[in-house]
Amino acid sequence: METPHTEHLTSEDYEFVYEPAEDSFLLLDALEKDLQFLEEQQPHLCVEIGSGSGVIITALSKKFSNSALCLATDINPRACKATKSTALKNHAQVECLNCNLTQPLRKRSVDLLVFNPPYVVTSDEEMQLQNIAATERNLVYSWAGGQDGRRVTDILLKQLDDILSPNGVLYLLLLRENKPEEIINYLTKLRFKAVKFMERRIPGEHLYILKVTRVST
Amino acid sequence: MKLSTYNFLTSMAIKGVKVGYPLKLTINKKDVVETEFNPTFVERLLPKLDWSAVYGAAQVAELADDIPAVQPENIAENELLLQKLHHLLFEVDVIEGQLECPETGRVFPIADGIPNMLLNEDEV
Repeated sequence: METPHTEHLTSEDYEFVYEPAEDSFLLLDALEKDLQFLEEQQPHLCVEIGSGSGVIITALSKKFSNSALCLATDINPRACKATKSTALKNHAQVECLNCNLTQPLRKRSVDLLVFNPPYVVTSDEEMQLQNIAATERNLVYSWAGGQDGRRVTDILLKQLDDILSPNGVLYLLLLRENKPEEIINYLTKLRFKAVKFMERRIPGEHLYILKVTRVST
Repeated sequence: MKLSTYNFLTSMAIKGVKVGYPLKLTINKKDVVETEFNPTFVERLLPKLDWSAVYGAAQVAELADDIPAVQPENIAENELLLQKLHHLLFEVDVIEGQLECPETGRVFPIADGIPNMLLNEDEV
């Protein structure tokens, strides 16, 4: 998969929108590594939650152009705009929705779900942002994960059964501090199969990509 | 917002809403973006779509003459209809407009092609 062009995004954009970094590239590498599986799975609806700059969903859209509907969601309207402009610059078809997680999507419709959540361990207060100026808020939302860096991830996992289509798959980025083993056990109880699909050490962080599928019945 | 996306949107997350589908669509400004026609993809996507919402979108987009009110059988063999569906679902782009919850009347504006479907905490 090609890494999409992002030269059109400026340092001013990155004051409000998460700039692609090692975590984003690990997620891209994981999708690339699993491309054969994805091609066999033939996803109709691909969704990235919290698309930020839009690099990941744009790369996916280029890969599945004219064979899947690619949709990006973000609670930050500036991220929606950045995603749209990244798609446009790379001649990709990406639809953007300004919403929370996959809240407005019909039940069990998503075939391929990708999420690089706000995973940094912070206090819940920091995550709730009472004292932060509105302009800074959106960027804090992009990384501050509250206790165990899991607040947002846990909300998503609780809804996962209602989000994924019968043969849907989720690629989720995690940090060691997010306690991946605990998440795998939790998902197993919910009748999902979760595996550490890739991992990478970068200075100061140990990143994982969890691949989650339904246990076939 | 493409009309294929519209087909997947609901307001079910609003407190008290039972179905929240299909949303009432209003188009104030639209674009037509030419995209490559892949009949196989359109055909494979159909089982995931709700035909009444496909037809509803066609009416709003003033393309109802192209789309039958009831889903015909054997669409796979009807290349012309697949082409018209491709145009409706992937080429019509709603730039300005709104989506409205059929049960509560809550309006979700569409600006610059992006629907704002954020809900306040007290709405969910």
